[in-house]
Amino acid sequence: MSTQQDFRQQPPPPLPARHLQLPSATEARLSNGLAVVIVEDRRLPLVSYRLSFRTGDAHDPPELPGLTEMLTGLLTEGTESLSSREIADEIARMGATLSAGANSDYSTVAASSLSRFGDQVLELLADVTLRPSFPENEVALARQNTKESLRQQRAQPSFLATEMVSRCMFGQHPYSVIAPTPESLDATSRDRLIEFHRSQFVPNNAVFIIVGDVHAESVLKRIERLFGQWEPAGTVADDFPAPPAHTSRSARIVDRPGSAQSNIVIANLGITRMNPDYFPMLLMHTVLGANASSRLFMNLREDKGYTYGAYSNLDARRSAGTFRASAEVRTPVTGDSLKEFFYELERIRSQPVSQKEITDAKAFLTGVFPIRLETQEGLIDQLVQIRMFGLPENYLDTYRDKVQAVTVEQIREVAERYVKPDQATIVIVGDGIQIEEQIAPYTDDVTFFNTAGKPKSRPSLTPKNVVRAPQNIVGNWQLEIQTPLGQTIPATLILEEAETGLTGRVESEMGDADLLTVNLDGQSLAATLAFDMGAGETVEAQISGELSGEQIQGSIILQNSPPLTFTGSKQ
Amino acid sequence: MSVSCVRPPIGTSTPGKHLRRIENQVAESFQLPSTPLQQFTLANGLRVILNRDQSVPVVSVAVYYDVGSRNEKEGRTGFAHLFEHMMFQGSENVPKAAHFQYIFNAGGTMNGTTSTERTNYFETLPANQLPLALWLESDRMCSLKVTQENLDNQRNAVQEEKRLRYDNQPYVNAFLRINELIFKNPANAHSTIGSMEDLDAATIDDIREFFRIYYAPNNAVLTISGDFEEQETRALVEKYFAEIPSQPRPPAVDVSEPEEVAATEESFPDQLAPAPAFVLGWKIPARRTQEFYALSLASDLLFEGDSSRLYQKLVKGDESVVSIQGGVDERRGPSALYIFALPKPGFEPQAIRQQIFDEIKRLATSGPSEGEMEKLRNSLCNDSVRGRQSTMYRAQRIAEYALYDDDPKLFDSELDNYLSVTAQEITNAVARFLDVDNRVVLDIVPDAERALESAQASAQPPGERRQPAAPAPQIPSPESEQQISPSNSEVVVASSAHPERPEQPADPPKQTEPGSGPLHP
Repeated sequence: MSTQQDFRQQPPPPLPARHLQLPSATEARLSNGLAVVIVEDRRLPLVSYRLSFRTGDAHDPPELPGLTEMLTGLLTEGTESLSSREIADEIARMGATLSAGANSDYSTVAASSLSRFGDQVLELLADVTLRPSFPENEVALARQNTKESLRQQRAQPSFLATEMVSRCMFGQHPYSVIAPTPESLDATSRDRLIEFHRSQFVPNNAVFIIVGDVHAESVLKRIERLFGQWEPAGTVADDFPAPPAHTSRSARIVDRPGSAQSNIVIANLGITRMNPDYFPMLLMHTVLGANASSRLFMNLREDKGYTYGAYSNLDARRSAGTFRASAEVRTPVTGDSLKEFFYELERIRSQPVSQKEITDAKAFLTGVFPIRLETQEGLIDQLVQIRMFGLPENYLDTYRDKVQAVTVEQIREVAERYVKPDQATIVIVGDGIQIEEQIAPYTDDVTFFNTAGKPKSRPSLTPKNVVRAPQNIVGNWQLEIQTPLGQTIPATLILEEAETGLTGRVESEMGDADLLTVNLDGQSLAATLAFDMGAGETVEAQISGELSGEQIQGSIILQNSPPLTFTGSKQ
Repeated sequence: MSVSCVRPPIGTSTPGKHLRRIENQVAESFQLPSTPLQQFTLANGLRVILNRDQSVPVVSVAVYYDVGSRNEKEGRTGFAHLFEHMMFQGSENVPKAAHFQYIFNAGGTMNGTTSTERTNYFETLPANQLPLALWLESDRMCSLKVTQENLDNQRNAVQEEKRLRYDNQPYVNAFLRINELIFKNPANAHSTIGSMEDLDAATIDDIREFFRIYYAPNNAVLTISGDFEEQETRALVEKYFAEIPSQPRPPAVDVSEPEEVAATEESFPDQLAPAPAFVLGWKIPARRTQEFYALSLASDLLFEGDSSRLYQKLVKGDESVVSIQGGVDERRGPSALYIFALPKPGFEPQAIRQQIFDEIKRLATSGPSEGEMEKLRNSLCNDSVRGRQSTMYRAQRIAEYALYDDDPKLFDSELDNYLSVTAQEITNAVARFLDVDNRVVLDIVPDAERALESAQASAQPPGERRQPAAPAPQIPSPESEQQISPSNSEVVVASSAHPERPEQPADPPKQTEPGSGPLHP
């Protein structure tokens, strides 16, 4: 056994590297400006299509956020000759897929099938792209369904974090808006959809990429037949306001009372996708926080145990970008986590990375490169990005060389240029009252928001800031609490004046609770409830209410639960 | 539970009528590209399958151990999944938590999952790093460090995972509950995540014994798919695995069930559910039976994709649901079929349920249309061919057929079994197994009152805040949220959340963060 032990003691060296044959493409351009890229791949009888347009969410009219999103979703819901159902049935009959979607910078109509159905799928793709009918009932359904998902999203901390980060980092730039509102949805009319489609979804604004079991010449002929009559239209160059510069550190807290975790994002403005600093940034990001052997993970998770995972994010888009570090940490270690984040951000900008780190990062990036090109989907998505961001056509051929060419000094330079802890924006979605003090050492510039995105007062007040409570507030309030099931629970809210400000209790069938840290802001009441469970244990909840004369209405939020609304009146 | 909607490829497609009357080439039979396989078994019982394909210079390695929650005795639930965690905690020559570092620094990706049926471990690497994968997998197969410290750490990690993925999510725990109602045999009924009490009670000797019995070469399959030289690879496999001693065969497991599941309707309070929902569940025959094939296809017709019957009826027709989903839990023993519906506000769950039952009855009496049969066949073909692009998909599917059926060639031939299913067989299977009162209805009811009680139950004594111990790492993908999906996330219990559709490779290219596509980790 001892010889066996010897060779097992070390990881084995790699075998000789094997060559990656990158696909070659046939390129063409129709007379109407449509660029076509065809990659023949006859490994399997499959074909994939992507028709992408340089129009994305950032091009939404300012008063209609979500227009592009809704438009792309509706393309497959009806054309001049086919209903939504007919399209769905036709695609399913072929065992194929056809869909459309959008991101910040571009939209894509995507289809795939066995190659034997390739022509039919192509015809359908042409139909939904060129002749969508936006049926009124489908538009109404899309509005309704989007409103539903907006409601779900507002319950998700990651959505709230992204929303706040986008607002803070992008300012007047359209990347700042990540979701429609119910009002904007109502205003998104069929006419606007049609008009936007006519003006934006034009051939000179598009690239058509085909990968699969096809013959370039014949598929090009088919494309000419199907798309040749498509009229080009003038396009306007992007002219977006620059994102705001930040000159000092700030914190924007989305208060989610009772949250067991703090969703932390620390962001600085970054680069666009086409910026020459891209590859050094990519390496810097890989060392700092791309995966589980990166610095942020090893520190905040492996060493400190604060979180399930801490990472960085190189958010580089067509006209602007950010560089972020983020993690979801347990509420009590929010401040400690900030300490470690800033330690790592300082470190990467002030000290060169080690030789091992840069070597490992290069190995990771060059190693996963072929894995991501295994499938037609992987390859075609890369080709879409290359075209939509205007990257060099030989991007895939030179990618690994560019990764290898980055130096330790280049990494430090871009870290110094873009990683700016003193000017960073800290966004935290978490339990405001628990984290307020934890954040204080890191910045004075702290603003709180509720989950609807509206500013609110600080969760707690120090005693000297307490305003004497108006008399109409002190006393007993009879409440009726509604559960989501429609039950009504009676309760009594007792508010009393004390030296340190308002205090009181809630008494109900659910239990009795003392009011802690009562905050009164005009007629808005907010407090923590501490339910006494006996044996020295308490369970906390948040109560907030609006007072109006002798009436009160508000909600009680137990940890990780939907709010219980209540109404009540003074006894 | 492992919810898998994998269907093998289809062969023949018959043309249906086209709306556009385009002449279509009618192929009599669909030829699936044949998958080259080389099989051998080591002296210690390890079954090895090699699938060579030089298309892309990558290689995927999968190790499947024949142990899942089905093997767990009462009072010992959650062991298989706990073990999956322990397998990343270091072995004789691999330091604690170094496994994933080795893989990342070699330029690879990795994952592992536990289900009722098996525990699997897999990685994809540049082709020249095959020896690394074999070293890692063999070292932990023979010399995993089972220590009290690792055990305690991973117990904590599993608790964190349970909190994060199950207890902190609406609707998920309902799927665990429904299995308890569908299945009468405790081996089948309990969840893979197991009970905290059982895990707390586990001793280090229990864990060592579990390892000895189940993590043995004769209880495992190793598959390698991708770009490699066969002789060289065979020699490497011998070098790294041949010396690992075999163990006595694990005890046989009884997964038999009484035939009927009595009609059960239960209310499931869920403190995180913002709205009422419901899950329906049926017990169905084991995988690879004719009825299973038929019911699997029936499930596609009912809820798979936009053209499915329930989607058209409820989402597009009545517009009464936010979502309608379903899945099939494929097991070697009795299996299960589920339907989950989330009604829109103002729509009665009861009424929606009735519509689902009506649609099932319709399928049970009139059966699928010709167009639907064509759709099924073409979808099976398409999914099968498309899946084959990926070395990881191949490595996993081949390993499954080797482990469950001792026949890796099913990877190519199983398609024909699905293709042979007739409309009549689908009709009969639905009539016999779905259009019956023997089903479970689980009403998920938002319950904020219970929230208070369970907040109490999980409140920690003041001052004693445990750190979240190290769960297995996650490969970040900036645009996606943490999902219970074996393809996206790390070491997880295979899909206990919503029943899953098979991964749709050509899903819309929705990226919230452009520039963070696959080449930008």
